Amino acid sequence: MDLQKVLSEAAALCGPSGHEESVAAYFAELFRPFVDEVTVDKMYNVIAHKKGSGPKVMLSAHMDEIGMLVTKIEDDGSLRLGQIGGVDPRILPACRVWVHGREKLFGTIGALPPHLLSNEDRENNYRMDKLHVDVGLPAEKVRELVRIGDLVTFNNGSTALLNHQFAAKTMDDRACVAMLILTAEKLQMLKCDADVYFVGSTQEEVGCIGAETAAFAIDPDLAIALDVDHAATPGAPASATVPLDALVSTIGPFIQPKLEKRLEDCAKKHHVKLNSAVAGRWTGTDADEIGTARAGVPTVLLSLPEKYMHTTVETIDLQVLEEGSRLMAHFLSELDAGWEDDLWI
Amino acid sequence: MDLKTLTELNAPSGHEQALRRALLEELKARGFEPTIDRMGNVVVVKPGTGDAPRKRVLLSAHMDEVGLIVTSATEDGFLKVTTAGGIDPRVLVSKRVLVGDDKIPGVIGAVAIHLQSAADRKHVLAVRELSVDIGAKSKDEAEGKAPKGTYISFDTDYVEYGDGYACGKAFDDRVGIWNLLRILDGEYPVDIVAAFASEEEVGCRGAKGAAFAQEPDIGIILEGTTCNDLGDVPETQHVCKTGAGVCVSFMDGASIANRDLFKKTLEVGAANGIPHQVKNGTSGGNEGGVVQRARGGIPTVVLSVPCRYIHSPSSVIKLSDVESQLDLTKALLKAL
Repeated sequence: MDLQKVLSEAAALCGPSGHEESVAAYFAELFRPFVDEVTVDKMYNVIAHKKGSGPKVMLSAHMDEIGMLVTKIEDDGSLRLGQIGGVDPRILPACRVWVHGREKLFGTIGALPPHLLSNEDRENNYRMDKLHVDVGLPAEKVRELVRIGDLVTFNNGSTALLNHQFAAKTMDDRACVAMLILTAEKLQMLKCDADVYFVGSTQEEVGCIGAETAAFAIDPDLAIALDVDHAATPGAPASATVPLDALVSTIGPFIQPKLEKRLEDCAKKHHVKLNSAVAGRWTGTDADEIGTARAGVPTVLLSLPEKYMHTTVETIDLQVLEEGSRLMAHFLSELDAGWEDDLWI
Repeated sequence: MDLKTLTELNAPSGHEQALRRALLEELKARGFEPTIDRMGNVVVVKPGTGDAPRKRVLLSAHMDEVGLIVTSATEDGFLKVTTAGGIDPRVLVSKRVLVGDDKIPGVIGAVAIHLQSAADRKHVLAVRELSVDIGAKSKDEAEGKAPKGTYISFDTDYVEYGDGYACGKAFDDRVGIWNLLRILDGEYPVDIVAAFASEEEVGCRGAKGAAFAQEPDIGIILEGTTCNDLGDVPETQHVCKTGAGVCVSFMDGASIANRDLFKKTLEVGAANGIPHQVKNGTSGGNEGGVVQRARGGIPTVVLSVPCRYIHSPSSVIKLSDVESQLDLTKALLKAL
């Protein structure tokens, strides 16, 4: 699998929370060669099943992205925006977007010229409700093509940086979906008894809703959520960030401790660099909802560090992504019937 | 050479080499003999067809665009920058850039919304607080790839969209550059000095030298100008309107148009049915300011293409306005 190509293509797809159909269709085809069955459920979750006689494992990474929608069409033809998930309005001025109306329209978000800014303007960030999307069309034409509620997604392409780093929108969390596909690919070369469900989940950004229903449907014995975590960047609080160049396992009440130890041991055994992070309460990932599905699911969280989360330049390290798939493949391969022994002791 | 090619060349103020080389090649291919003057302006003189003594008209459009310059690198490999030309730092967040002549891709990120305090959300990130991230892991690596003084440009392609609009970087002033090239194809009674000028965005330094050296009788500045005809801006501050034709300035922050030349321009526009509008704002400045005061004074007029979101990575023009600038300039040259 050409990882950069897949990430570029996946990033270009439109899939804000609740609208993941095209992303699901894309990833479903990529899973297909490496599993026994691929389905897309009624929440648009992609469920790729590799059958086995051992423990039933669910691995979940979310396909949805933060995005926006049209809230109003102004008489000058410009569009007003609302948000889906946590969009930072600071990234919006001069940002290019796609407006998904009856046709896919190119748009750009306006910004005042520096020549005309008052001191007050300069001292305040733009608010989303004060910004507009310019689609270069008169209001009459816009009203033909665009309706309130139509989706607006970012259009910023993708770019490769030095040291195998890669920047694009939606690396949160399509990079981890790609990690799952690589895992499925690697598992073909390993012995594996586990009954594995790879899930590309939906609506994570609005409350991990897809993972919740998928966990109910699959009814797994154990689960691994895969998501991004904040990598260190200038200005970010050191206590809330991790180094970019290694995977992270979270420790805390929402994470099953014995299973977490098993993940650490597996990483050590296979020389995969794994840092730890601590979450005193919720992790803000699919792990939170999967963990309490049905009667409860022992769950761990594996994180891929990412710079500039929820921007159009989310940056990850491709080697770390590859290492993540290697770790997951070994973890699954070595998951024996005794995994549950003394789980809570 | 088309507008797409021109805007996608990187020529931040003080580092116009790539565009200068492209223009020299293009002009030579068209049979001209371009020269480079002491300020780095590319200059072409085209004699008129009228009887001597002919008027000598300076047409100036600037090559440079706003950009960034590397000032240092942090221990962990991020580039710190300053601006070359006026950029609102709020348009830089979450954008892609190209660093140096090797065009090393970079991104300008920001601390994730999850990690921002209420005060952080209100705080406007200043240029000194932003970093360009090329993926370098150490100060040495960053400085090796992008030493202090390396220029940075927006990584933005040219896209045509909507009802005859285009979105891209550097329309200010590649529209003028493109029209100046096209104007040179025509024949005019007056002598023309075409100045593809340097360093407008940092004080019109190129045009100042060219105006002195070339001793023109008349100055015509071809520009891109601010336009706020969409969104929450009161109509009195729109400055101009896209699609309404080329903008003629009666005054701006740097110059007052020569009244006779201003009137003549409007008459020529009306007589030839060329869409034009009088700019209804006076903020900003351009080469008109330095050309009008060269030597003993030069009657000058400024003709601009309205440009939304100017000085940002995604500025917007209406292509018909670019044609109006071309048409009005040509008609004016024939009527002088």
